[in-house]
Formats: sequence, structure tokens, C-alpha cells
Amino acid sequence: MSEPSAASQQLFDLWKKQLDEGTQNWARLLGQNPTPTPDPFSFWKPAMEHGLQQWARIFATTPVTPDLMSQWKQFLDQSIEAWSKALSQVMSTEAYAQAMGKALEQWTASYAPVKKQTDQGLETALQALNVPTRAQVTSLAKQVMDLEERLDRLDDGIAAILRRLDAGKA
Amino acid sequence: MGQERFADIAERFANSYAELGAAASPEMVKRWQDELERSFKRMTNLAQMVQHPVEPRTGQTPREEIYRKGKARLYRYASKRTHRTPVLFVPNLGISRPYIFDLLPGGSFIEHMTKEGFDFYLLDWGVFGPEDNELSFEDCVVKILPRAARKVLESSGAESLSVLGYCMGAPLSASFIASHPEVPVKNFINMAGPIDFSKVGLFGLWLDRRFFDVDRFIDTMGSLPADMVKAGFKLLRPTMDLSTNLNLWWNLWNDKYVESFNALNKWANEYVAFPGEFFRQWVRDFYQGNKLHRGELVFGGRPVRLSAIDCPLFVVGAKEDYIAPPACVRALMDATRSQDKEYVELPGGHISLIAGRGASTHCWPKVSGWLASRS
Repeated sequence: MSEPSAASQQLFDLWKKQLDEGTQNWARLLGQNPTPTPDPFSFWKPAMEHGLQQWARIFATTPVTPDLMSQWKQFLDQSIEAWSKALSQVMSTEAYAQAMGKALEQWTASYAPVKKQTDQGLETALQALNVPTRAQVTSLAKQVMDLEERLDRLDDGIAAILRRLDAGKA
Repeated sequence: MGQERFADIAERFANSYAELGAAASPEMVKRWQDELERSFKRMTNLAQMVQHPVEPRTGQTPREEIYRKGKARLYRYASKRTHRTPVLFVPNLGISRPYIFDLLPGGSFIEHMTKEGFDFYLLDWGVFGPEDNELSFEDCVVKILPRAARKVLESSGAESLSVLGYCMGAPLSASFIASHPEVPVKNFINMAGPIDFSKVGLFGLWLDRRFFDVDRFIDTMGSLPADMVKAGFKLLRPTMDLSTNLNLWWNLWNDKYVESFNALNKWANEYVAFPGEFFRQWVRDFYQGNKLHRGELVFGGRPVRLSAIDCPLFVVGAKEDYIAPPACVRALMDATRSQDKEYVELPGGHISLIAGRGASTHCWPKVSGWLASRS
């Protein structure tokens, strides 16, 4: 019988080899892009390598028990955490913030005329159908809130008078 | 090994398993059986979740509405009151719904506080529509919070109240207490509320005035829609969903976990828009101007100076809080005149202070314990 640890080591080696080859293929594919791109692998590869080595040790030393499931979960947790840290590093750069701000600005600039046109079209259509428009409903809601504010002020005034009366009695 | 087919190795691996099984100890067999049972239960629960999703019953602590203004509602929770001083709880405005504070029986911050004998009030800011776009941060501090505080005092019959601010509710509360010295606030608790925005982390960088023109954005959009709030928070921790789903799969055999997950997941995907003027002021004066910490705010003609706060103060930060990092929360400690003040930094993130297993053991007893001796 093959030793379980040896068999699992072989399986793992094969998996690692495939992963490495896949990574190299992707790197070659991205390398064909004429514009220079940042190397995303530099962020996660050290963490991935570290995780793989740990996993290799576990496979080599641990017998095949249900504990392997826990170790696999631990490995995935660590990988996700490593990804999270790497992404956080990228996202906490000024370059990223600038790019995000620019993208949002462009989106806002393109969205504004579309929104204006849609709103106007909808307004005209609803008016033609003799249905209250969004602006009219919003305006009504604001009037109700203004009334509510006036009532609150009256309530404040009455409460203040009552407090003074109570203080006078005491 | 290079020439060997993957299938050969897999077969050998499976055979070695089988041979190991023959020689395995009864304990090992039992553990494999348990693992298989868990896997089976996982599949059953997954099918149940997909085919017959159960609507979680959140917010079960009995309560009554005692005041409303616009979309805001003030609720009083039923309690066996043993402390004289009522507690006004001010959560964040926008972003998410406040039922996270009363998620499920046995896992509810509000249930904990009422069981500890506090007369507990929650200010629910509500879900906003286009008619609320003119509601500003200043309106909340000048028009809503003073009235809510008065209603709490009237309803409880007490002479003073404690104010508990969570997340954005803390700077809202701090602005209110600092600008309304006539309101008898006996104690103030800041749970994960940002105060010094120069230390606020990723959001601070993304909302920096060099990169984000809040005026242009609000003038175009009118408000910050719920979908954009969601996108912003998802970007803050892009691997969060992956991690959540992995943990769900791992614990899917556990019915109790699945029940909590359903409730928390419902909350975590229910975002609330920001009213336009509120968001404009929040970004411009707080994230970009840091005016609260600098003492440069004036609300309703009243200066807002944190140094005017002199009541007992309890500040709670979370070690892994990416929304309000501990340094920006802790800043309140040095900004007030309070003599009786305490800071604790607890494990976990922003949400783990108010929901989850850790919260009920690490956080809530500390908050209720500190407050009990001063109420």
C-alpha cells in the first residue's frame, strides 16, 4: 500500500505544478499587453507561496483524518486574509483613490444629462396622463414635514410654559 | 511523476484511504462518520435555504413609538426598570437599518440592556426618500435630537438621561451634547463613533477633497443612493463576501448558526440611502474638514465644542474596525473636559461590537456594567 502521506504529497505536488504553470501562462498572457501594467502577482504570490508550503508540510506529516478538512478551511481563511491585506494595500494608495475619484466624476458627468432627460420625459408623460408627478409628491411630503415642524414648535412652546408654571408652583 | 496521469494518482490516493479505513481505529471511524453526517446536514440545510428561505424574525423585543418627526421614530422598549436614568440610543443615520441592535432573541443588544434594567429608547432615523434630501446633519442635531431627549425625559419621568451613540450616532450625539448644555445628559457612551477624522482610514482617503467633489456629486444625484452606499462598504472589505460564504459553508450543518446567518445576512444586504444635504455636510465638515474635532462647527447659532462635554464618558473602540479605526474613536477621550472617563478597545470589527457571539460576552456587559453604576 502507498503511504497516505506520500500519495497526498504527490497529489499536492501535481496540483502545485498545475497552479504554477497556470500562473506562468497568465503572466505570459498579460505580458503580451503592450501597455505596462502593475504586477498583481507581487501582492499575493508571497502569501500564496507561504500558504502552499504550510499546506505541503501538513500533507506530508498528517495522516488522512477529518482534521484535514479543518486544515483546508484554515488554509482558505489564511489565503482570503492574505488577499484582503494585499487589496487593502492597493486601495489605501493615493493613486487608487485618485483613479476611483476620476471614475466617479466621469460617471457623474455622463449620468447627469441622462437623468435630466429621463426626469423631464417622465414628468411630461405623467402630466399628460393626469397622474401626480414625483416632484409634486415630493413637494407635498415637504409641506407635511413643514407642518410637522410647526406643530413641534408649538409643542416646544407649550412644554416650556408648563415647565415655568410647574416651577412657579414649587 | 511528471508523466503520471492525474487520474492514476487520484485512484491511488482513494485506495490508500480505503486501506487506511480497514485498519483505522473505532475512534477514527466515528470521526469520519461525524464528518459525513455534517456534510449531509450541510447539503440538507443548503437545499432548505435555496428552496424554502425563511424570513428571519428580527426586532422581537416589545416596544412602543413615543415620538415621530419626519422619517425618524423614537421607540421605548419594555423593561423591568431598575435604573432611574433612561438611555437614549442614537445609531447611525442612513447606511443600514437599526434592527441589528435587536437581531434575534438571545443575540440582541437591546434585549440585553432591557434585561439589565435600563429604560431604553432607540432613535430610528428611518429610510429616506427624495423628500428628505434637504435634511442636514445640523437639522438632526438642532431639531430632532433635542426633542427626542425631551420626549425621553417626559416619558421616563427622570431628571436626566444617558446618551449612547453608535457609529455615526456618536458624532451626532457629541455635537448635540456639546451644543445643548441645558439638556441634562448624565452619561455619554461612544461606541465605535469616529471623532478625529484625520485618523479615519480608507474612507478618509477616498473622500478626500482632492479626489472627491461632494458638491458636484450631490448636485447631480440629489442623494447618495442605497446601491452606492452598498458599493462603498463592499469596497472597503472586498473579500468579506467570500469569507462570509466560506464560513457559512463550514457551519452550514449548525441550525443555530444558519438562523443567525439568515438574520445578519438580511441586515447586511439592506442598505439605506443618505439624504443629499446630510451627506454633503457629513463629507465636507467631518471627513474633509474635521471640524468636529477642531471645534469649528456652529449648529443653530450654537458653537459645537467637544470641550463643553463634562459628563462621565465611556468610549469603546474595536481593534479591527476599518470604518472607525480605534485611534479616531479614542480621540474623544482627550477632547472633552470629563473627569470620569474610560476607554476600552475590544477584539473584532465595527459590527462585532453590537452583533454576534463576541459582542454579548466582550462588549455588552462592559457597556451595561459601566452605565449601571452611574444610572
